[in-house]
Amino acid sequence: MKKNIALLLGVLPMVFALGACQDNRTRELAEQGLIYCSEGNPLSFNPQLDISGTTVDATSHQVYNRLLDFDSETGKVVPNLATSWLVSEDGLTYTFQLRKDVAFHSTAFFKPSRPFNADDVLFSINRWRLKDHPFHHVSGGSYPYFDSLGLNKVVVEVNKINGYRVEIKLSRPDSSFLATLATDFSVILSQEYAEQLLAAGTPELLDTQPVGTGPFQFVSFREDNHVRYHRNPDYWGEQQTQQQLIYDITPSSSMRLAKLITGECDVIAFPAQTELRIVEERGDLILDEKPGLNIGFWAFNTAKPPFNDARVRKALTMAVDKRTLIDAVYFDSAIAAKGLLPPTSWAFDDTRKETHYNPVMARQLLDEAGIGTGFTMDIWAMPVERAYNPNATKMAEIMQNYLQQVGVKARIVSYEWGTFRRLLAQGQHDSVLIGWTADSGDPDNFYRPLLSCSAIASGTNRANWCSEEYDDLIDQALAHTDENMRLTIYRQANDILEEQMPLFPIAHAYRFQAYRKEIKGLTINPFGGIQFAGVVKESR
Amino acid sequence: MPKSSFYEEEPFPSPVRQTWNEFRRNHIALLGLWCLAFFVLLSIFGPILSPYSALEQNTDAILLPPAWEPNGSTPFLFGTDSLGRDLLTRVVNGCRITFGASLILVLVAMLIGCAIGAFAGMSRGIRASVINHLLDAIMAIPTLLLAIIVVAILGTGLVNSMWAIALALVPQFVHQTRDVTRREFQKEYVTAVRLDGAGNTRIFFFSILPNMIEMLVVQATMALSIAILDITALGFLNLGAQSPSPELGAMLSDALETAYIAPWSIALPGAAIFLMVLSINLVGDGLRTALRNRLTQ
Amino acid sequence: MLVYLGRRLNLLVITLFILCAGSFALAFLFPGDPLTNLSGLANPDEQLRQQLMHKYALDQGFFASLWQYFQLIFAGDWGISMRSGSSVFEEVTRTLPASIELSVYAMVLSLFIGLPLGIFSGLSHRKALDRGILSFSLIGYSVPVFWLALLMILVFALKLGVLPMSDRVSLLYDVPLNTGFVLLDILQSDMEHREAALQNAFAHLILPTLSLTVFTCSLIVRLTRRSVINVMDSDYIKAAYAKGMSRSEVVWQHGLKNALIPIMPQLVMQFTLLMTNAMIVEVIFSWPGIGEWMIQAIYQRDFPSIRGGMLAVSVVVVSFTISMDVLLKLLYPLSKRQLHAQV
Repeated sequence: MKKNIALLLGVLPMVFALGACQDNRTRELAEQGLIYCSEGNPLSFNPQLDISGTTVDATSHQVYNRLLDFDSETGKVVPNLATSWLVSEDGLTYTFQLRKDVAFHSTAFFKPSRPFNADDVLFSINRWRLKDHPFHHVSGGSYPYFDSLGLNKVVVEVNKINGYRVEIKLSRPDSSFLATLATDFSVILSQEYAEQLLAAGTPELLDTQPVGTGPFQFVSFREDNHVRYHRNPDYWGEQQTQQQLIYDITPSSSMRLAKLITGECDVIAFPAQTELRIVEERGDLILDEKPGLNIGFWAFNTAKPPFNDARVRKALTMAVDKRTLIDAVYFDSAIAAKGLLPPTSWAFDDTRKETHYNPVMARQLLDEAGIGTGFTMDIWAMPVERAYNPNATKMAEIMQNYLQQVGVKARIVSYEWGTFRRLLAQGQHDSVLIGWTADSGDPDNFYRPLLSCSAIASGTNRANWCSEEYDDLIDQALAHTDENMRLTIYRQANDILEEQMPLFPIAHAYRFQAYRKEIKGLTINPFGGIQFAGVVKESR
Repeated sequence: MPKSSFYEEEPFPSPVRQTWNEFRRNHIALLGLWCLAFFVLLSIFGPILSPYSALEQNTDAILLPPAWEPNGSTPFLFGTDSLGRDLLTRVVNGCRITFGASLILVLVAMLIGCAIGAFAGMSRGIRASVINHLLDAIMAIPTLLLAIIVVAILGTGLVNSMWAIALALVPQFVHQTRDVTRREFQKEYVTAVRLDGAGNTRIFFFSILPNMIEMLVVQATMALSIAILDITALGFLNLGAQSPSPELGAMLSDALETAYIAPWSIALPGAAIFLMVLSINLVGDGLRTALRNRLTQ
Repeated sequence: MLVYLGRRLNLLVITLFILCAGSFALAFLFPGDPLTNLSGLANPDEQLRQQLMHKYALDQGFFASLWQYFQLIFAGDWGISMRSGSSVFEEVTRTLPASIELSVYAMVLSLFIGLPLGIFSGLSHRKALDRGILSFSLIGYSVPVFWLALLMILVFALKLGVLPMSDRVSLLYDVPLNTGFVLLDILQSDMEHREAALQNAFAHLILPTLSLTVFTCSLIVRLTRRSVINVMDSDYIKAAYAKGMSRSEVVWQHGLKNALIPIMPQLVMQFTLLMTNAMIVEVIFSWPGIGEWMIQAIYQRDFPSIRGGMLAVSVVVVSFTISMDVLLKLLYPLSKRQLHAQV
């Protein structure tokens, strides 16, 4: 095309000029900022309020610190804002010694007058624990993670012993309590900031203009566009080398990869399974891989007939070939799921058998349950990629194909992520393709939030399934500290699940992280959110 | 008895024949016509010939490159997409949907446009000016915006996007018809017919319409190329035909996800759209030139 | 002349009126509660509902509420976006400049390339140069804009890696939002690394502008070429030759002016088409303009935004076309307005 060539002749010198003009200062600037292409808008800047991976990635490890943390290699609980802790003999009282001289962010909207102390811990825990706390009902009053674990009933007292010592009393022993305090959601907020906001009459800013003690401080957020953080100059830990951390919100995975290739992003969220090979082949990109503590599943809304009938649920799971799903959607970078727990968990039950693909049997069961051919159901496919389900729509399309063979018509439903989750929480779905990423290594973190009765209200039990027998079992398991004992109890729980099939476990996916090779020090955090503390960008 | 002519008579071709003769002299336009004919045949018979269905997923043959690439395989001549669907089949089916939908919507737009245009051309005063203003307002709204509004009201889908584009195309036809009607109404032959006692409607259908047919055809080819571009654009933006449908624009938007590893899944549907539009434009240009030459002769 | 101006003004006012009324009607045509579609507040409680009813005068009959709507529009109260919760008017004023910026650059570039090529082509009618230019313009005219944009991204951004492919300027540069035109904003700001930011913004402009230019430019070539051919065939040009003027004299003194004036109004009409294409290109290049914003709005069923965006874009287009029309009429009183483009 002649015109194009003419255009190019005009443009190319400009391009070269641009390249040549990239003086040292620009280069320095580029090195001073780290751009992470994330997959969506954080719904809140306080992970206590929202458990979605997007929110956690954007906030937990960047803006905030927790009392405890997980060692990313061993999964053991290690000190963070709490330097040491003591557990009483009966397992009911926990005492934490707090770190001194930890400063909160000093930003355009808040100047702290005092360092972090016990008041902040009390404030952060009491906010979700006490219904009459002045901040409990700010921003909706729902704390999905803590609610799903029923923690407001477990924690009975939080006391300040002195400025840097806090005591927490439980109603029953809970072998996963320390792990809970180390999860992405147990962040420490500033009590001083909260009071200031309350006095100014704008308490909701606490969750939209966050202040924490983390390595980065909040600067600005524009919906569907970006989140901008600057480094926290007074950070108590190791100082960041990068001046800026920017989240470039890019919902399409191919777009993220493209930006990674052109260098517009330094790190990307959720590289698509189909694109992993490209990342591996290119010399300037690095792909990290780790088995993930997650599960992708197909949950049936058991509150809605005919999905309240276990036969229907079982039939539908038999009609779909899990192998194909894993091949076509995960491209073999996942393990077929046998139950809720991935094989990396210590409580993984090796002896369990997988469900088998059996369309004939499926049809039979459907007939038994009185479901004729031509039955129509909805499959809700989540609109975002997650490690546990990199392409729910595609998976739904394949399942649609399979279900047709047993005479079930499936309609694929999808909304924008925020809307999707809202409608899902209202229980409007027939069935949904979604999943779960563990926040701690404890098996309870799978069993309780996904299928316990209390998790229905908090919106993590997508099957709306409630069984007292199952709830009793998982409560029993928590009362024991002996792993073998717990394992036996979880086996019984698994039996119930297999019998009832409230959800169809599909796969445990590997977690991937793709970034440019100038980026050093980035590791995969097996327990949830990404961490940019200590990440360095070297010059090209 | 065979009709024979007694006199050395210069055969005088009909106007359509003349236009065709002019058109035939333009080789590029003729090529365009062949190409278009190929697309029409492909749209009609292609899906029948194809061994696969457009929605059939071959999960063991995912993202195969086209047959001429080193890793390609002959059963899938154009390769497969990320769900293992045969790309050739999908492109052929896509041509049918895209081309067929565009053709239908252009016909609808033409009918509506001509009706309004004829009405406007024959009316005077306030009625004409109301129509003018309304049309100007509609023309001021970019096609895509109009489509967005229609889709917002009716929901996404191929048929809804067809309505939207038809609505955007109507004003052109209205203007054309109105201008011609108005011009022709001044002419003497119309006056002659009127003296015979014919009413407006009769004059329009029997005297004016035959004179405008060719011009309408030219206008329709232009509209058709615009319609194809718009309908694929809407499909591409997920506002028109929805995902499993092999509409060419929707296919392109599906392929975005694998754009980098499977560039052919972007290249082929796009090339199909491009060739289709190109051949229509060639034919349209050829027709117009032919018409112009005939009229100036 | 005054009569003409009066009629144009009349047209402008009436068209704007129709568009406004149309956008009001949309609130009722869109699915859901008209009150929500107008205000952007989902599920208002009874008290808020009463307030809103009063605010939009929905309880006082159709004309009263339409009048009320006009007043609110003029006051800049366009309701609240359902996705972000911020004012629709503010978002429109933020995104619209970005779209206009892109369209204007593409238009200017197309004119600079398209006019000379069209003239060359028209002057060498039926020669190889003409055929060549015509073929290329036909190709450029037939390429789907979104496909071209994708191919450009594949080649220049991904394969060659010379140009960026999304947004207006790298996020590393914290450009303050002032006029909404990114180059102006950078020039006005006192940020560090200003030159670097400017270069960066330029690099971001290249691909979107080019993909828009190809189509518009082809169109301009075709319009110009046809007009030049018509003029060069006309009797007064033959008369000028007969007077013994040289070819260049004829072209410069008679040909060009007469060829270009009649296509000016048609060029203005192309702005609508350009905006349509710009909206598609914005989506592909994540250009934060009104097209991208509205497409997102429709994905998320954000009706107040769609309503506001439709009003804003069509008002810009109408005002632009009519004012250009008047301007041309003032400059060249003889030119006749043609209502539709002959390509």
